[in-house]
Amino acid sequence: MIKVLFFGVIAEKLRRHDMVLPVKAGMTIADVVHAAGCEDFKPLLVAVNQDQVNNLNTPVKAGDEVAVMPPFSGG
Amino acid sequence: MKAVRIQEDDFSIEAEVNALRASSKRIGGIAIFLGCARDFSEGRNVFSIEFEQYAGMAEKALPVLRDEALARFDIIEARIIHRVTTVHAGDQIVLIVVGAEHRKPAFEACEWLIDELKKRVPIWKKETTPDGDTWVTQHP
Repeated sequence: MIKVLFFGVIAEKLRRHDMVLPVKAGMTIADVVHAAGCEDFKPLLVAVNQDQVNNLNTPVKAGDEVAVMPPFSGG
Repeated sequence: MKAVRIQEDDFSIEAEVNALRASSKRIGGIAIFLGCARDFSEGRNVFSIEFEQYAGMAEKALPVLRDEALARFDIIEARIIHRVTTVHAGDQIVLIVVGAEHRKPAFEACEWLIDELKKRVPIWKKETTPDGDTWVTQHP
């Protein structure tokens, strides 16, 4: 399973802060974003296990924590 | 008191500067960036600002920024404190204090740190305005 976390405006629009997805063979971050219903959020930032990842073709594996995030606005 | 912190509570600039100065007697110049809550943004009044963070990632990212600044600039020490809570106009949000032998690298590292923090640390703000709540998506 993969744990998916949502933040900011994305969490608000999806009305959830997390979900769990089953892992499929050859699954990538882009597949996770699609399965989580987030492909329409642009721009979009993604982190895997708390490290930001720019390549959406990066594979994911069971146990990964994938965060789907809007651009940061701290400070 | 850790040099890098994310916290709900307010912070004392004096206490952070004193902690920085206590780290080395070689510090001759200190640059400070203090970010505060405004009562007006994007043409609207702002009543309050609520912060959200991706706690694990933000807590990892901030010390990395400090380490990179220490390696990249000719500085001696740096402290970064960011509040994650609900703040109102005039409240303190973020503090960066940089100590160096001379002023120029202290100024440069301080500016670099706040710029990189905005780009790389997963913290978001939502402003409460007369028109409702608005997530801030872009940040000059």
